[in-house]
Amino acid sequence: MSQARPVTIAFDVMGADHGAAEVVRGAAQLTLDSPNIHALLVGDRAQIDEALATIRHNAERVAVHHTSEWVAMHEKPAAALDDKPQASVLLAAKLVKEGEADAMVSAGNTGAGVLACAKSFTLIPGVRRAALATVYPTAVGRGEKNDPFSLILDVGATVDASAADLVAFAVMGTAYARIISRNKDPSVALLSNGTEAQKGPPRVVEAHEKLKGMAGLRFIGNIEGVDIPKGTADVVVCDGFVGNVCLKMLEGVSETVMELAKYAYKEKLLWRAALAMLSGGIERIKEVTDWEQYGGAPILGFNRLFIKAHGRSKARAITNAGKVAAKAVGNDLAMTIEKLLPGRGSS
Amino acid sequence: MSDETKPAPRRIYRWDLDKTYLQTEFDTLRQLVRTALQRANEKKAVPGAAALIRELKASPDVRLCIVSGSPTQMRKVLMEKLKLDGVEFDELVLKDNLRNLVRGRFKALRGQVGYKLPVLLESRARAPADAEEVLFGDDAEADAFVYSLYADMVARRVSEPVVYRVLEAAEVYSDDIERVIQVWHSIPQADPVRRIFINLDRLTPPAYFAKYGPRVVPIFNYFQAALVLMGDKFLTAPQVLKVMIELVQTAGYNLLTLSNSFQDLLRRGLPMGAVAEALVEALKGPGGMFQAVRPVPDIIAAFSKRVASLGSEPAPPKARDIDYLSLLDDARPRTHKARRRS
Repeated sequence: MSQARPVTIAFDVMGADHGAAEVVRGAAQLTLDSPNIHALLVGDRAQIDEALATIRHNAERVAVHHTSEWVAMHEKPAAALDDKPQASVLLAAKLVKEGEADAMVSAGNTGAGVLACAKSFTLIPGVRRAALATVYPTAVGRGEKNDPFSLILDVGATVDASAADLVAFAVMGTAYARIISRNKDPSVALLSNGTEAQKGPPRVVEAHEKLKGMAGLRFIGNIEGVDIPKGTADVVVCDGFVGNVCLKMLEGVSETVMELAKYAYKEKLLWRAALAMLSGGIERIKEVTDWEQYGGAPILGFNRLFIKAHGRSKARAITNAGKVAAKAVGNDLAMTIEKLLPGRGSS
Repeated sequence: MSDETKPAPRRIYRWDLDKTYLQTEFDTLRQLVRTALQRANEKKAVPGAAALIRELKASPDVRLCIVSGSPTQMRKVLMEKLKLDGVEFDELVLKDNLRNLVRGRFKALRGQVGYKLPVLLESRARAPADAEEVLFGDDAEADAFVYSLYADMVARRVSEPVVYRVLEAAEVYSDDIERVIQVWHSIPQADPVRRIFINLDRLTPPAYFAKYGPRVVPIFNYFQAALVLMGDKFLTAPQVLKVMIELVQTAGYNLLTLSNSFQDLLRRGLPMGAVAEALVEALKGPGGMFQAVRPVPDIIAAFSKRVASLGSEPAPPKARDIDYLSLLDDARPRTHKARRRS
């Protein structure tokens, strides 16, 4: 048994697209892969035990916290959490707050997850608003792992971010990239409608001015939307409204390309042959840009970490979300962020 | 105490060695060779196993009988290892594979049922009819099957035609089948087997063993076995705490792993309520040794939380008759390849 400091991850088992069993499977695999990570499964005990009974796991690193309430995907977060004080996502956040777990993972309702964090966790001193970050595959590798993913934040938690919020997001993204992507000196950029410093709404211009002179960050200026897939910056900072629109558009483009490929495959024998010849390369791209290795999107800015796994996450993504959360906890992400914030620490 | 002066056994604990008492790897030829060449001080016991045996053996009317598939050539090194661990045994039966090889009985080299079943029955034939038994095996071979069949044969819950069919399916040689039937008939009918513990060396999902009924208890560690045996009144709370202390001091177990192990048993419906109360009393009582592990209130709080977080009490596992003919796959010898796959 490893003597490393044990880290407990609370998993909100309920409300995911593939059901509780898939989340339990992912958490169970985590107990086999990582000797210092414990899984605290929060949800309906009957469903959890039914899944656990039939899958390999290490019971020494699994605990169950029963609740019969949870928030479904279609429910309105605020109303649902008011109606269900014992909802699994809220309970998981509470257990993290009370120190029963160190971080939390959920593949359920995103809004409920963010709200549960806001109700239970406290913001890091110097951070006014939290940010939801996500990774996006790019053409450039970065960090020790030659990681092709850049980090974009915020993609939906804070719709009306101020200049100070954008600066805090830049700090949070840098800290996260340093710890999770093992990128010692990640480049940070503001997403705007031009690369010039004076381009964009006043809050972006003001944030640019603040970031330009900030120690501890490698701010490379503004970038445009086209630079995101190119991988021009390791950390892309924007407000939640812009980030969410941008993310959905990138997802839409990706889906459209897939549809076009399918169409081409059906339409002409020559095109089909060409696609078949490229299949090895396409598979490789799929491997390299596999988002499941990141497990999900972190909510940054709170003193505790929440990884929001995709609703349709399979077990592997859940396992990796747990690993990412444990890594962030083990490297004291919150403290790293606090130290990097202007006027807070050394850096 | 010599055999003559020992009181007649009231309880018999039967243990397998590899993967049950010893942490052994023999899934590949290289591992097999390495295991064969290991010296006594290089062999490692499964955490908590030695402490559990010492506590079980604390009473003079108890016997420890070891039946292992290890070759007879390893007797000296195994005896030395058990001595190093402070484990006193009454029987140590090893497999004479050299004899099997010389006689060309190649199926017997890998077979578990044809080896263990007659040995268990012969040992039982020498024991008092009222002696209770607790058996310890693992999930690497056919222990759950062999032990359950043995228990049901002694209790006459399984018919002779079924035993014949099982032994044939397990590729047992005909003379060994006759030996099994002969010894079986000489044993008085009794229902001595209280528990069969299966050490989950391969982390086989516990539900896999549900087909063997609640008598078979898969365990992730020997703290779990100690808790169940305490519930069965085979151990006292201070004895369970000694097993716990060995796990903490020698194998890095902590409050999380121990309280999770406790909750795992609760979730599987094992009656742990009275056990928890007695443990709390023992922890609160005199005996500074427990304080050395962790402040007592922390231990009690950790276990209480795991109980409270489950809400209502889970239903106990249901008793069931074992359909051995449907479980013949579990009885067949496993190849190295199959072991690696599992």
